[in-house]
Amino acid sequence: MGSLSDRYCIVGVGETEYSRHSGRSTRAMAVEAIGAAMADAGLGPADVDGMMSYQSGDSTPSDWVAPDLGLRLDFYMDVAGGGSSTEALVGLAMGAIEAGMCRTVALFRSMNGYSDFRIGGTGPRAAQPVRALDLALRPFGMTSAGQKFALTFMRHMYEYDTTSAQVAHVRVAHSRHASQNPKALLKDRVTVDEVLASRWIVKPLHLLDCCLETDNATCLIVTSAERARDLRPRPVHVLGVAGRVSKPRTDFHWAHGPTTRVAGYHARDIVFGQAGIRPEDVDVTGSYDAFTFTTMLQLEEYGFCAKGDGGAYVSSGIIELGGRRPNNTAGGHLCEGYTHGMSMVIENVRQLRGRVDDYCPGAAEGRHTYDYSPGRCRQVKDARIAMNLGWAVPSTGSALILRS
Amino acid sequence: MPSVEYRGMSLVIPENDSEWREHFRLARSHRLMLRACAACGLMRYPPSHGCPWCASLRWAWREVGGRGAIHSYEIVVHAIQPGFKDWAPYPVVLVELDEQRGQPTEHEALRIVANLVTPDFRPEAEASVAIGRRVRVVFQDLAEDFALPQFVLTDEPPEGRVWRFPG
Repeated sequence: MGSLSDRYCIVGVGETEYSRHSGRSTRAMAVEAIGAAMADAGLGPADVDGMMSYQSGDSTPSDWVAPDLGLRLDFYMDVAGGGSSTEALVGLAMGAIEAGMCRTVALFRSMNGYSDFRIGGTGPRAAQPVRALDLALRPFGMTSAGQKFALTFMRHMYEYDTTSAQVAHVRVAHSRHASQNPKALLKDRVTVDEVLASRWIVKPLHLLDCCLETDNATCLIVTSAERARDLRPRPVHVLGVAGRVSKPRTDFHWAHGPTTRVAGYHARDIVFGQAGIRPEDVDVTGSYDAFTFTTMLQLEEYGFCAKGDGGAYVSSGIIELGGRRPNNTAGGHLCEGYTHGMSMVIENVRQLRGRVDDYCPGAAEGRHTYDYSPGRCRQVKDARIAMNLGWAVPSTGSALILRS
Repeated sequence: MPSVEYRGMSLVIPENDSEWREHFRLARSHRLMLRACAACGLMRYPPSHGCPWCASLRWAWREVGGRGAIHSYEIVVHAIQPGFKDWAPYPVVLVELDEQRGQPTEHEALRIVANLVTPDFRPEAEASVAIGRRVRVVFQDLAEDFALPQFVLTDEPPEGRVWRFPG
């Protein structure tokens, strides 16, 4: 991308409440989130001419949503996908604008991930017929994300002596961050012991190693840096993007190891190369914390620590507010709510604007106390560069580097 | 077949399935057969259309011994699929077969996901499951032309470090 680095911006962000009982359609929630992002950017109906979304048969497509916002679109596309879609779609939106297909794109994800299509895989989906490549896994009682990823986590513990207690620190850190976030579904801070005492889901995962399932819609608006200059909020520039980069053998990634390697290994040179920065230059990260372990694996693979040192890294305090490089400062999918990745990009945009919506009385004007005790501040001081690490499965991921 | 019922699930293999149909039919004769590329000779699993190394579309079934070692595993305590609720806790194992280990590159091997079971197809006890332990394939007959390859522990000495999740 080289030449597109720094030429596109995220200019608006918005979301609905994170709940387990939205009581309304994915269409209604999408309209609210997109409307909020347009208001955030100061854009009217005539200003948004592109729309993209991702879903897995559980949402409302763009062409049903746009009329509710008074939009006439010159471009829209709804793709199949969950985690790792957000970052990839930012890059695709830039491509659509660069190609002259449209000027400003709203990206959304709307899901009743608790009250309707359970993201954990329970409900009607659990008993659906098994065919084609699913025959390699589902007949053996392997269907949920946790069940599909646990072989990777277990092998990491074997190869690198990683412990459950080390990895539990990811939950601890994200719960502390969520306690500073009025929007977070789970605001209670938890301890390592509480994580380890929570019930087993699929060993090595305890319940608290696993993310939430929630109902919500989220939205980002992408436009050119040129157009962004005329808009009200401080634009956040895209320095680099990598979309759905994969390990070999995506049909059965365990065939081509190392089993502990995840897609970030292949994505990092793409995204850091475009951005012209190194991991040390990043002030705040947004990992895909579907599980505590996924955060650890991604931080290793993108070079924030050496491969195998992830357990020590995530338990060192570095990833907590007040640490060198806080991760998922809104609480992430473990504590804030589950959005298939978009909420972590929204949070990083707010971090780079200096306008995180925490409990500081002057938060809306960017006045923060940087007091990270419970129920206070979650703004990272002088955050200049943020990075998102999108995860679909161990073998596929995306990444996004943003600057203020 | 087009469909085999197992633990409350329909395993659907239509007439036009060109990957799995023969695989499970051959398993019913209690042989573990993998596709071997007619051009480069390498075997692969799962059964795929093209060769992942040389992209040749020519292949033939080749029998393997069905012995290997546990490369990784998990213990499902909270089952998601309704038919597995009364089977939990159960182990899922990633087995590395003896043939073609470290080929064509050091990180590659023939690996298969299955359950680690007792000889009467109940879940193996968690305390017996460990990375490095030796296993061999067994076949769970589900229909006249369909069997599910599963694995049981063997008495062979384990490979390398034997490691069991401490939790």
